Amino acid sequence: MPQSPELDADFTRESLLEQVNLDAPEGGKIKFLECLPFGKALTVDRYQLANGLMLLLIEDHEAPVVAYHTWFNVGSRHEQVGKTGLSHLFEHLMFNESENLPAGEFDRKMEEAGAEVNASTWLDWTQYSSSLPKGQLLTAIPLEAERMAHLVLKPPQLNSEKEVVANERRFRVEDDVDGAVNELLWATAFTEHAYRWPTIGWMADIEGFTTEDCLGFYRTYYAPNNATLVVAGDIEPIVVLRAISQNYGPMPRAVLPLEDVRPEPPQTSERRISVEKPTQTEKLVLGYKSPAFGDFDYPALSLLGEVLAGGRASRLYRRLVRELELASEVRISVGPFRDPSLFELYVSAREGHTAEELLAVVEEELLRVREQPVAQEEMDRALARNELSLLASLETADGKASTLGFYETVLGQPTSAFERLAMERKVSSSDLRRVARRYLVDTQRTVVLVVKDDDDDDLEPNSSSDSDVEAA
Amino acid sequence: MNQTLQANPPEPRVLVETSRAVPLVTLSVTFTQGSVLDPEGLLGLTRLTGRLMRRTGGGLSADQIDTRIDTLGASLGVDVTHSAISFQGTCISRSIEGYVDVVKDVVAKASLSEHEFNKLKSESQAELLSMLDSDQSVARHWFRREMFADHPYGRPTGGTLVSVPKLQHGAAVEHAKRTIRRGNLLFAFAGDINPEQAQRFAADIAAVVPSGASPEVEIDEPRFVSGRQLVVVDKPDRTQTQILIGTRGSHPKDADHTALHVANTVFGGTFTSRLMHEVRSKRGWSYGASSHLAYDRRRQPLSILTFPKAEDAAPCIELQIQLLEQWCEAGITQTELDWAKNYLIRSHAFSVDTASKRVSQKLDEVLYDLPKGYHEEYLANVQAVTLEQANQAVAERISPKDLLIVVVCTEKLVGAQLQAIVPNLEHYKVIPFNGEVQTETKT
Repeated sequence: MPQSPELDADFTRESLLEQVNLDAPEGGKIKFLECLPFGKALTVDRYQLANGLMLLLIEDHEAPVVAYHTWFNVGSRHEQVGKTGLSHLFEHLMFNESENLPAGEFDRKMEEAGAEVNASTWLDWTQYSSSLPKGQLLTAIPLEAERMAHLVLKPPQLNSEKEVVANERRFRVEDDVDGAVNELLWATAFTEHAYRWPTIGWMADIEGFTTEDCLGFYRTYYAPNNATLVVAGDIEPIVVLRAISQNYGPMPRAVLPLEDVRPEPPQTSERRISVEKPTQTEKLVLGYKSPAFGDFDYPALSLLGEVLAGGRASRLYRRLVRELELASEVRISVGPFRDPSLFELYVSAREGHTAEELLAVVEEELLRVREQPVAQEEMDRALARNELSLLASLETADGKASTLGFYETVLGQPTSAFERLAMERKVSSSDLRRVARRYLVDTQRTVVLVVKDDDDDDLEPNSSSDSDVEAA
Repeated sequence: MNQTLQANPPEPRVLVETSRAVPLVTLSVTFTQGSVLDPEGLLGLTRLTGRLMRRTGGGLSADQIDTRIDTLGASLGVDVTHSAISFQGTCISRSIEGYVDVVKDVVAKASLSEHEFNKLKSESQAELLSMLDSDQSVARHWFRREMFADHPYGRPTGGTLVSVPKLQHGAAVEHAKRTIRRGNLLFAFAGDINPEQAQRFAADIAAVVPSGASPEVEIDEPRFVSGRQLVVVDKPDRTQTQILIGTRGSHPKDADHTALHVANTVFGGTFTSRLMHEVRSKRGWSYGASSHLAYDRRRQPLSILTFPKAEDAAPCIELQIQLLEQWCEAGITQTELDWAKNYLIRSHAFSVDTASKRVSQKLDEVLYDLPKGYHEEYLANVQAVTLEQANQAVAERISPKDLLIVVVCTEKLVGAQLQAIVPNLEHYKVIPFNGEVQTETKT
C-alpha cells in the first residue's frame, strides 16, 4: 500500500538525518523539531543542533538563489550604561579578520562567490544576511561558521571601525533631523529599560570601546545556543544539513548570562520637550507606550495605526495633508519588540504651520478613535494593505529568510507572520476602540516638538558666490 | 532639443514575465517621454501632471481613488523620470480585474480637476522644502544641476521651489493631452498572470488612451564638465559632509561600456572595491564609499559618493582624486579583472530572481535605448572583457582632469581647505543649500 505524502516526507527526513548524524561532531548532531506551513505553497523545517543552534530550512526552487541568515539573540537591550552601541559596533567587526582569514578576506571571498552580504542590529537582535547564487552556498557556510567562532580583534581594526561607526552616527543622527529627534523621543520616553538608548550607541561610548569590551561581548553572546540559522531558497536539504552539522558542530555551547531586564515603570504623566533643529519645517513626534510584539493587544494596535496613518486614504493623512494642508508627511509605527515599547507618530508640518497646530489635529483624531467605532470598511482596507505588504516581503528568498528569522528570534515562532494576519482579521471595531483607550492616552505619551533653529539665518539671502580660481 | 510629431506610431508593446511564486501581479503602464517634455521655465510640469492623473482618475476624488486602491490590496504610484512617465504598482492577484479598472481610469479618464491641481501644487512645494532636510538629496540635486548645466538631464524632474509655484492648471491639462498618447504606451506585467491575460488587460487599457503620439524629443548627448570644478552647497551646523565627484561616463551603446562597467566594479562597485578599501576599511573616513555608472537614453556621468566628517572632507577628496588618477594611469590588474568578472557573473542571479526584476530589465531596454538583447547578453559580454579592453575603457572614458566635485557642508568650516586640496582647481562656487528659495525671495 502506498504511503501518504506526509509519511513519505517524514521517512525521507529521518533517513537524511541518520546519514548526516552518522559522522557528525557531537555538537553537530541534528534533531528535527517540526515542519510548519509557511503560506499556501511552502513549509519550513525546524531543527536544532546538539550544541543549541537553531536551524530553519525552507526549500523553494523558484529562483536559483539561496538566502543564508544568522540571527543572534543579542541587541542593544543587552548592553550596559557606558557601553551602548556595542552590539552594533560588533556587527561591523564581524566583517574583519578571523583565525583562518586575513582582514578583508571574508568580504572578498563572499563577493567573488557573487554574494550580497549585509547585517543589521536593533534593540532585540543582530542579524547577518547573505544572498548567494545556488551553487555558492557551500562557500558561505564555512566562512560564516569561521567568523562566528574564530574572530580576531586587533586595535587598528577596532579603531578604524569605531571611526566608521562614528561616521554612520553622524549620517543617521547628528546631521539628520529625524534620526536625532527619534533618539530624543526614546531617551525621554524610557527611564529604566534598555530601550532608552539608541542601537547605534552614544558617541562617547562608541569612541571609548576597547578590544577587551569587544572580546568579552563576543565570547558571551556569539554562541550556537544564542543563534538561529535560516536557509531559504534553491537548496538540497541533505547537503545543507551536512555542511551545517560539520561546520557548526564543533562550536561549544556558551553559558548565557541571565538577562538583567529592568522593566519600565508605568508612565503616569505626559513628558513634553521642544527642541530647535536646523530644519525647514516644524515636526511633531509622539511616542505612546505600546505593548510588546507578542502581546494579545499588539495586532489590534498595529491595525489601528494603519487606519490612522497607513497610506493616503488613512484618517490622519486625509486630515493633515489633504484637507487642512498643515502637513507634508504623516507616519505611524508600532515597535515590533520583545518588551513594551512605543507607538510612534511622526508628522512634518508645512511651511508656516507649527507643531502645536499638528498636535491639536492629531488629538482630535485620537479622541475620535477612542470615542467612536472604526467602520468595517476602514478595517478591511487596513487588512488588505497589511496582506499586500506581507506578500511583497516574501517575493525573494532573502525576504522569506528575514521574515522567518525575525519571528523566530522575537517570538520563538518562525512562521507566525501568517498567523498575525489571521489574528488581525479577527480584530473587531470594539478591539480597536479598546486599545485606543488603553494605549493612546495623554498620560502615557512623550511629545517632541521640533522647531526651526535660528542658525538658518546664518545664511544671508543670495549669498552664493561664483569665482574663477587660478590653477594651482 | 528638438520636438517632432510622430507619424503612424506603433501599437503598444506588452512585456510579460509570469511567476506563481506569490499571488501578486505588478503592472507598469509607461509613456515613453518624461520630464524632458517640461516646457522652458515650467520644470516639474510632467511630474505634476502624472500625479494629477493618479489623483483624479475616473472623475473620482483623490480620497476615493486611494480608498479604492487600498481596498483591493494594491498600490499605485507615478514615477516620472527624464525619459518616461510610469504608472506602476502591485496588487494581490485576486483583485487584478478591479485593479486594471483603476489603472484605466487613471491613465485615460482623469478629470484633472483644478481643485486637486492646486492641492497637489501646494503639496509638491512642501515636499521640495522637506527634501532640504536630507543632505544626500541636496547633494544629488546640485550634482545633477551642475553636471548637466543647461542640458535637459540637469532639470529636476520634480521641479524647483521657483518653478513649481508658477505651474498653471491649464498647462497641466494641455500637457496631459500632449504626452498621454497610445503611440507612446508600453505595458509590463509580472507575477501571477499569464501572457493572454496580460494582453487582454493591456488592450483594454490601450483602447481608451487617446491615439497618436507625443512629440518626439531629440536630446543631444550631454557635454560633461571641463576642468576641475568645486561646488560647495552651504548648510549650517553640518558635522559631516556629503561629497559627490563626477566625470564623463558612458552609455550601454558605447562599445566599451561593459569593459568600463567591469573596471568600475574594481574601482568602486563593491564592498571590497579599491575605493571602499582605502576610504572606509583603512581609514574609517566614511560609512559609504562607492562609484556608480548609471544609464539613460544619453550618456550619464560616473559618480562617486562618500560622506566623511567635516575634518576629513579635504583629505578624503584628495585621496579620491589620487585613486581616480591611479585607476586611469595604471588600470586594473588581471587578478582584479578575474575577481570582478566572477562577482558580476555570479551576482547576476539577483538581478533576475523575481518576475518583476526580469520585466524591469526588458522595460529598461526599450526606455533607455539599450542595445538589443543588452540584458540577455550581459553575462557573455562581461565574460568576454579582456584586461586590455577594461584598461583602455578607463583611460579613454574617465578624465580625472575634468571633475565636478559637489560638497554639502558648512562652508565656513571647510570651504578654504577644500579649495586648497584640489589640484588644478579652475572654478569654485558656493550655493546656499536653499538657494532656490532665496533666488525666489530676490525676484
